[in-house]
Order: sequence, then structure tokens, then C-alpha cells
Amino acid sequence: MAIDPQSAILQAEEQRAQAEALFNSIGEGAIATDEFGRITRINPIALDILGYKESELIGEWFPKKIVAINEDDVTVNLIDRPITKAFLTGRSVTDKIFYRKHDGQRFPVMLTVSPILLADRPIGAIEVFRDITLEEEIDRMKSEFISLASHQLRTPLSAIKTYSHMLVDGYMGDVTPAQKKSLRTIIGATNRMNELISTLLNITRIESGTIVINSRMLRVERAAEEVIKELSLAASEKNINLSMTVQGKLATSVKTDNLILKEIISNLVSNAIKYTTEGGAVDISVRGRVKDVLITVTDNGWGIPKESHDQVFSKFFRAQNTVKRETTGTGLGLYLVKGLLERLRGTIWFESEEGKGTKFFFTLPKEQRQRSN
Amino acid sequence: MANILIVEDDKDLNNAYSIILSSQDHTVESAFDGQEALDKLKNFKPDLILLDLLMPIMGGLEFLQHFDLKVHPDVKVLIFTNMENSPEVAESYKLGAHRCIIKSWTAPHNLSRVINEALENSSTPATA
Repeated sequence: MAIDPQSAILQAEEQRAQAEALFNSIGEGAIATDEFGRITRINPIALDILGYKESELIGEWFPKKIVAINEDDVTVNLIDRPITKAFLTGRSVTDKIFYRKHDGQRFPVMLTVSPILLADRPIGAIEVFRDITLEEEIDRMKSEFISLASHQLRTPLSAIKTYSHMLVDGYMGDVTPAQKKSLRTIIGATNRMNELISTLLNITRIESGTIVINSRMLRVERAAEEVIKELSLAASEKNINLSMTVQGKLATSVKTDNLILKEIISNLVSNAIKYTTEGGAVDISVRGRVKDVLITVTDNGWGIPKESHDQVFSKFFRAQNTVKRETTGTGLGLYLVKGLLERLRGTIWFESEEGKGTKFFFTLPKEQRQRSN
Repeated sequence: MANILIVEDDKDLNNAYSIILSSQDHTVESAFDGQEALDKLKNFKPDLILLDLLMPIMGGLEFLQHFDLKVHPDVKVLIFTNMENSPEVAESYKLGAHRCIIKSWTAPHNLSRVINEALENSSTPATA
């Protein structure tokens, strides 16, 4: 059948207009490029967000015209730009970065850039992005609120704990053994409440990226010793032998945040005590290595069932064998530990056998690249 | 023993620390905000200041801006707060604070230990 050239042109025009309308109707900023990264299309929302006119962008090289910046206000290298990664891998890339508007103003964006493939060959890319300034502000406010609420909750707890200790230590006169036991129960409960508040606060800070690292040179075993002192009461109540060993001859000093390190060790040792039968043993070993320090927390407790190994660091994870025997616990501790360690550029892993015990290993690098405050 | 100034707006806690430290033969003065602390410092020369951060009238950071630790290098400031890992704590280090102790975690005997270490040790600052 012969095709009327006139109607073929009209049909092509109609298809092009439809594609144009479709592109312009996308509810977020959208930029399309050719295979060289030159901008071929940009929708009105993208123009509005970036503050450009269409004529100022069409035909321009996307990575050069739309400048991407990281959190430290440093221009992102071409090789690290999401569009480059999408071209190189042939896959969609989602990322959070900062763009600079036409007037020079920096703003955060959440973007997804996908290569346009024709017969497995990239013929261009399309990026969809949105300005997340408002979302970031809400996150910051949420974090501030939780921080303030935590502080307010802790103030009365501090008084309860301090006065309970003063009573136990005899500052207000003699107390009977039965009274001492009750006071220790109160202290234990305030410690648990403190742990909960601390966990919630730190998780919020990690998730919103607002946790502050105060790095100082320190010896890891000193932090471990302080944790042992704090948890010795909980261990003695279950007749658990809590020990610490320093292994090897290499230095165990790292530049890191003492409070965060103690929080990590404390979480692992608390778990070990909680999930070990009475009369068991928990050991912390610290070994200096060439590039890092390896810390191992070993218990001979209930162990983690093999089928749960993949979920150990997930939020709200609690192993089935622990839920049956131990009702307290939020399932947030190991999720928090992993998040905190990531901030300290550390790594964590474990070995466990049900009925025999668990070993958690983590490392802290001797060369810290993180920003310290 | 040492002269210690407690700067803490919570009356119960201020009173508790005062009892604990006095029982160890320290000479203790109490202030309930930064401004009151500055007033007390006109007549009281402390070896150590136990300083809360969040207080009415004048908070701990503003106090440290007025009481310049570069001018008073012999005075140790221990930050006593419940705001762990916060920007305020980081700022207090920049202003010369010696250590930071988390109130709700610290039992009286640990507080005494940290204070004694701070008084004996004039080495580089560290977090508690």
C-alpha cells in the first residue's frame, strides 16, 4: 500500500507533539540528553527549578552547564556524576546531590538518571529530579525536636539515677540490703530508659545525617574498659564473667569519637550479656593491626539461628530464639551499631552458631578520612 | 582539695553534685545559669567548672564565650550535659572544654573519678 508523504509527515509531527507534551507533563524536573550528554529537551519544571530559559540550555553539555556539588561544596568530578555512571553502567542511577541554580544558589536534589537504550546502545539519557530543600528542612526540624525531647526526658532521669546512687553509696545514711536491692532495680530501669532514648536519638541523627563526630586520638581498650565498668553490674547479676584482653604488639590507638565508640561496644556487650545464659562468659578483645584495630566481642550464649543471619543488622530485627526467652529489646541495637560504625568508617561482621555462641568483629581504621569537629 | 564551681540549672542535680563533691573535701560553689556563674567568678577562683550547656538566661556555650579559657588556662571545664554527639558539644571543645560527660549515664563515683583525673591531669582533652 502506498503511503501518502503528506500524511506521513503529519503523523510524524503528531507523534513528536505527543512526545513533547508527555515530556512536559512530567511532574518533576526532567532533562533529556543525546549520547554525548548534550541537552536535547528540558521541561518547564526543570527550567523553573534551575532558573534558566530553554534557549540557554538546549544544545549545551549537561555536566558543564548544570554544575553538581557535594556536601562539602566541592564540584563533583565528571566520572562521579550520576549521568556518567548511568552511561557507563547502562543502568538507572539514583542519587542525592546539590545543583547550582542560574543565580549561583546551591540546593539539594534527589535525582534518577536513566540511559535511553536502543538495541543495547545508549542513544541518550533522561534525568528526573526534584528540589528537596523543604524535605531536608523538615528532616532537620524533626531531628532537632527529637534531640530536645530526649534532653528533656533525660533531665529527670539524671536526678533519679544520681539520687538512687547516692542512697546506695550511703550519702544519706545507712540503707538495708533489701533497700539497696530495690535501689539497684531503680538504677537498672533508668539505665534501660537511657539506652532507649540514646538509641532513638542516634538513629534519628544517623538517618537525617546530623550526627556529629568529635574525633580524638584514643586507645580502644580504654573505651572498652569504661564500658566494662558500666556493665559490670548487669553482668554480675547473671553471674557472667566479663573480661577484656589486648592482643598482639601493634598500637591500638585510633582517631575516633570516644562516645560513639563506647556506644558501639556497649551495645554489643549488652546484647552478649542479655543473650547469654547465667554463668556464661563475655570477652572483649582488642588487637592492633597495621591499618586498623580489630575489636571482637565473644559470648558463649544462645547464638543466632542460621536462617536469621541475613537480617541481623536490619531495623527491628530480633531473632526468634531470643523473642521466646527475652521479652525486652527493641531490635534497634545492631542497626544502630552498623550505622554508627559506617560514620566512623569501620566495618562489622559476625560468626554465630545456635546454642554455642556469637562473635561480633568490628574494625576501626587507623587513618581516618572523615571530617572531625 | 580543689575549688569547684557547679553551673547547673536543675536544682536537684546541682544540690546532689554539691553534696557529693563537698563530701570529698572539695570547696564547692553553685550557680544556676551562666550569668550567675560569671558573677560568682568575681570572688571565687575555681580549679574546675562543672558546666551544663542548656540553661536559662545564659547557657554553657555563651558562658564559655565570656569566660575565655585562653585567659584562664589553669581552669578545667567539664561539660556536663545530656546532649551527646551534638553540635553544642563540638562547639564547647572549640571553646576549650576539657571533657564531656553525659549526665544521665554518669554515676556519682564515676563523676568523682573524672573530676579527679581532670584535676590531676593537664594533658590533651578527651571525651568521657
